[in-house]
Amino acid sequence: MTAAAFSYELKEILTQVTDVSLKFDGKVILKSTSIEVRDIVRPGMTQGQVIGILGPSGIGKTQFSRILAGLQEPTTGTVLINHGGKMLPVQPGVVGMVAQNYPLFPHRTVLGNLLVALEHSKLSPKDKKDAAIEQLKEFDLLDKADKFPSQLSGGQRQRVSILRELLCSEHYLVMDEPFTGLDPIMKDAVCALIDKVSKMDERNTIFVVAHDIAALAMISDHLWLFGRDRDEHGCIIPGATIKAKYDLIERGLAWQPDVASTKAFAEFIPEVRAEFRQL
Amino acid sequence: MLDAFRPNKNLSAKAWTILLVTEVALLGVAWSLGDKLSIPGPLDTVLALGRLITQEGLLFELWVSFKVNIQAIALSSVLSIGLSYLTVLPVMRPFVEFCSKARFFSMAGFVTMFTLAFGGGHALKVALLTFGMTVFFITSMSAVVAEITKSEWDQARSLRMTPWRAVWEVVVLGKADAAFEVLRQNAAIGWMMLTLVEGLVRSEGGVGGILLNQSKYRHWDAVFAIQLTVLLVGIFQDRFIVYLKRVFCPYAFLTLERK
Repeated sequence: MTAAAFSYELKEILTQVTDVSLKFDGKVILKSTSIEVRDIVRPGMTQGQVIGILGPSGIGKTQFSRILAGLQEPTTGTVLINHGGKMLPVQPGVVGMVAQNYPLFPHRTVLGNLLVALEHSKLSPKDKKDAAIEQLKEFDLLDKADKFPSQLSGGQRQRVSILRELLCSEHYLVMDEPFTGLDPIMKDAVCALIDKVSKMDERNTIFVVAHDIAALAMISDHLWLFGRDRDEHGCIIPGATIKAKYDLIERGLAWQPDVASTKAFAEFIPEVRAEFRQL
Repeated sequence: MLDAFRPNKNLSAKAWTILLVTEVALLGVAWSLGDKLSIPGPLDTVLALGRLITQEGLLFELWVSFKVNIQAIALSSVLSIGLSYLTVLPVMRPFVEFCSKARFFSMAGFVTMFTLAFGGGHALKVALLTFGMTVFFITSMSAVVAEITKSEWDQARSLRMTPWRAVWEVVVLGKADAAFEVLRQNAAIGWMMLTLVEGLVRSEGGVGGILLNQSKYRHWDAVFAIQLTVLLVGIFQDRFIVYLKRVFCPYAFLTLERK
């Protein structure tokens, strides 16, 4: 396949969500949601997957992300994750979860937080430490190795949190509202960070849950828009599902550093916004 | 200095020093006018303190009380922290809730029952004080555990921790600084309760017994001297717990934020 001068192929399925629904105390939060993510292969380069998940506040995006991360059991349906070529039901830890407030263990140093993520690994203690140090170097955090989380800025906490989840989960990551409360410069920095992580490994797959349509469109290769149906009177029917999917590769919007200044991008954002208003 | 009278203002170190010295001086002046305020003045209090030490064996009694208090703090810490940690198990929550509600009981009502169970003297005092402290300690500590957020548990689970490993990381290690803080508050409650306990069980003596005796005969200078002595010991104990917290939980004192 080619799109806007990029040639790529969609290979094996990495994540498969089938008929997922969620109810709390009889209240329908999510209904019959099915979707899949395939490995995007671009010749001559390492290209991971970034999926943007959009939707109005309180619609159930965070619950869906917890289901993706194996932290919430769905009422019905399954989430399968490609683990070494086999599709296996998601378990906690297979998909890393970077929550909105970037929780880290306050009693552990940055290095200690990373080493906890490698506890289940079969590496020797020295190799674990080397792997953690290597990642700290990669993310320009080596000088923070002995600092505690309370001594880090918000951006540094976010990077440590991402690193820790990546060390544990290896390839899959869910980021919940990573742009909330950030100024435009910091948003760009987070976008660059997500882009960097996605290009670290072919299988790296990042689900980014956010409200910021423009920021999500800049970093994603696919966008999923969560919404709810309405009855004939215009009243909302409980239970969110994916109402629209946007393939940003086909639209020529993916993988372009200066995409925000293109005409296609300028036309795309109002289109999504208009759809968003219907939800 | 005007900032000292405005809400949420930060003061410089120099301003703080001036403020502290001024307030201590004002307190000193107020105290020195004690006779006019119907409280013993500094000289009377110092003389009473000397008399209590030389004639009433205040230091020995203080040591007796201190030992009771330390033992009760240790026992109530183990009981309260252990039971509070166990509230991660739903089966334990009603029991812990009941223990917490037991703070509404009057300690006097348990003296006979505790005497039968623990004998008299030192053991009875420790048991009563442990009971009195535990019901408050457990209330605060179980609240700390209950306030752990879903995202804190999620981060442990997303790192592939088993449920008990998550409890160790999130509750035991993660809330150690909060446990020290709860300990501080309850160690102070211990000194408040000690007078009551030593009033109920007088066989071993203790500072509470002397205080009640001096109070009975309206020796206010002596009462004041004992109160101030207990206050000093309490402050020392409080600083020691802060020191332990600083040693074991240094991260609790670190922040990027300027205060």
